[in-house]
Amino acid sequence: MKKAANRKRPAVNKVYYIYVGILAVLFFIFHTIPFLKGVFYSFTDWRGYGDWNFVGLRNYLHMFVDADTGNAYIFTFKFAVITTILVNVVSLVLACALNAKIKFKNTIKAFYFLPYMLGSLIVGFIFNYIFANLVPELGKALGIKALSVNILGTNNAMWGIIAVSLWIGCAFNTLIYIAGLQSIDTDVYEAANLDGATGFKRFSKITFPLLAPSFTINMVLSAKGYLMVYDQIMAMTDGGPGTATTSIAVLIYKKGFGGGQFAYQSANAVVLFIVVVLISVFQLRILEKREEKLG
Amino acid sequence: MNKKVISTLVIGTLIAGTLAGCGGSSDAGSSAKSSSGKTELELFSTKPENKDTIQKLVDKYNESHDDVTVKVTAPPDAGTVLKTRMAKNDMPDIVAMGGDNNYTEVEGAGMLLDLGDQDYIKDVQEAYIDMIYDVNKDKEETIYGVPFATNASGVIYNTEKFEELGLEVPKTWDEFIDTLQKIQDAGEQPLLMTYKDAWTANAPWNSIAADLAPESFADDRKAGKTTFVGTHEEITEKYLTLLDYAQDDFMGLSYDDGNKKFANGDAVMIINGNWAISQYRNANPDVKINMFAFPSSNDESQNKVTSGVDVLLGVSKSSSNVDAAKDFVSFMMEKENVQTYIDEQFSFSALKGVEQSDEAVSGVQEDISNGKVANFEDHYYPSGFNMSVLLTELSLNRANGMDDKENIEQFLKQCDEKYDVANVD
Repeated sequence: MKKAANRKRPAVNKVYYIYVGILAVLFFIFHTIPFLKGVFYSFTDWRGYGDWNFVGLRNYLHMFVDADTGNAYIFTFKFAVITTILVNVVSLVLACALNAKIKFKNTIKAFYFLPYMLGSLIVGFIFNYIFANLVPELGKALGIKALSVNILGTNNAMWGIIAVSLWIGCAFNTLIYIAGLQSIDTDVYEAANLDGATGFKRFSKITFPLLAPSFTINMVLSAKGYLMVYDQIMAMTDGGPGTATTSIAVLIYKKGFGGGQFAYQSANAVVLFIVVVLISVFQLRILEKREEKLG
Repeated sequence: MNKKVISTLVIGTLIAGTLAGCGGSSDAGSSAKSSSGKTELELFSTKPENKDTIQKLVDKYNESHDDVTVKVTAPPDAGTVLKTRMAKNDMPDIVAMGGDNNYTEVEGAGMLLDLGDQDYIKDVQEAYIDMIYDVNKDKEETIYGVPFATNASGVIYNTEKFEELGLEVPKTWDEFIDTLQKIQDAGEQPLLMTYKDAWTANAPWNSIAADLAPESFADDRKAGKTTFVGTHEEITEKYLTLLDYAQDDFMGLSYDDGNKKFANGDAVMIINGNWAISQYRNANPDVKINMFAFPSSNDESQNKVTSGVDVLLGVSKSSSNVDAAKDFVSFMMEKENVQTYIDEQFSFSALKGVEQSDEAVSGVQEDISNGKVANFEDHYYPSGFNMSVLLTELSLNRANGMDDKENIEQFLKQCDEKYDVANVD
């Protein structure tokens, strides 16, 4: 079959072109054009209504002296790095545990996957209640001062958001890791057993290297997702207290619409886009090299 | 995902534009004779909360007028929609909006008619007319918007607790602190703060600053002749003093949760406005509350009720039937109709002789009737200047144990910096 296909180009059913064509047009109209328009407006002084003029690179240059934007980038990077690492560590542990021969495995897997099916806004609102009412009571009962007030109203608000992001994010990452684990040949483990590799050694020398493709996917997707964190923050702190949890996406939305800075925040969005692309490419390069080495 | 952010932004505005288009498409933006020979007017209302009451009054008008039909438009995010329509020269005939910076933009663009010659103007309280002058572009003394309904902010207190503890309504700052101390000594919670929702952090600030800031501060600051540093130290100090009497978790309590707690007697006082009262009553129908003007100063005459124009009425210059539109505004300004509005909306009237009779605000009605009012301080700040963020930062620093002097210094410096960034026309 395969050889035949290589020798002569197979006739492709025209239906595929129609499918792809329709989608390409829709994608272009609803995704690419708005994106290009956003890039276009980032070179103007448009407030979201009324007249506008071209201002060249002014919006981009202003970003470097704007303290709000700087703080948002610092918060976002801190948040993204911590959350990406935590999510992957926890997911890996969970996946290994769920891959072991335990009872009710599938039921437990379903429980862990549940958060992924809830919208992050809803989860945010639920945790809002938990942080406002349940956690402080627990903190008071245990006499822990840091937990006896709503954590979202303190300097540690970021950790509240990290906890929620962890809860939501682990579901998907665990799933990818489980899939990766199941594709590892059991022969490898038997051989490792014979050679005396067990426990943590088996994990670090056998399991983790063989999970490299899953690890790459999870690291890249998590980092990208957390650099653009938005829903959880809007549901839980609205960027507060003060500006302590204002991520870049939140800043773009709030100032772009409420503050009449549509054009300037469009520029901010373009920069964020470039930053995310660069980080993703960088990660892919490094992680794929690692995969090759291990493979 | 980033593309999503941008496309959401752009699509959002597209939708806003489409909405505006829908609103005006029936009659191309200004009034038009419909097929039956009737004049159709469009009333654009920016306050979603009062839609039903406005509709009720409009229905009453339509029933009694055969030749004119008024239609109400009240879209979400109305301020943006109105500005979009303005840019397209698609102004509605009549606007009902707040006396805030949205009004300034509409008025400043020369969209509204001078209504100073109308009969009802002589019955409108001077204090609110002055507030309209203040938000007019360049402080022009022309009535482009007629004050219709007003609001009030101050200290809301639980009258039963006051009686229980044998307390009197404080008239001065010292008396106020004394009262707070007495409540604390009696083992009750004196003040409830809901700063998780940052906008509520503005409530005490708006009252204290309105009473104590130099009279010409708003103008001078805009012109760059003065700064927050050097004029707002006492105000900030008093603002921070209040936090001593707030509950431990004042940064973590949300407005909704706080209102429930206050209604159920968890605290004796809360600083907010008349708009919150319906929430207290929903949470606890038996709650007995009243309101007093925030006593910022030891000079009683300076302690005014913080009150602004909640709804004003304006007529568009481009309306094809200006007389009918003016007639509708006159109808709205009839005492009976204003009374209906304030009774249903729980607000106050800008008309002399029309009073809010609900006991929950009886403590401030007299001051409002006598015009002893001052506008919300933040109505004078530029629209991009977000005071609530700075105030929650100030409060958070206090909660973290930062030295007051350093905190105040840093806060006022920030105020000036952010103000300058936002102060562009």
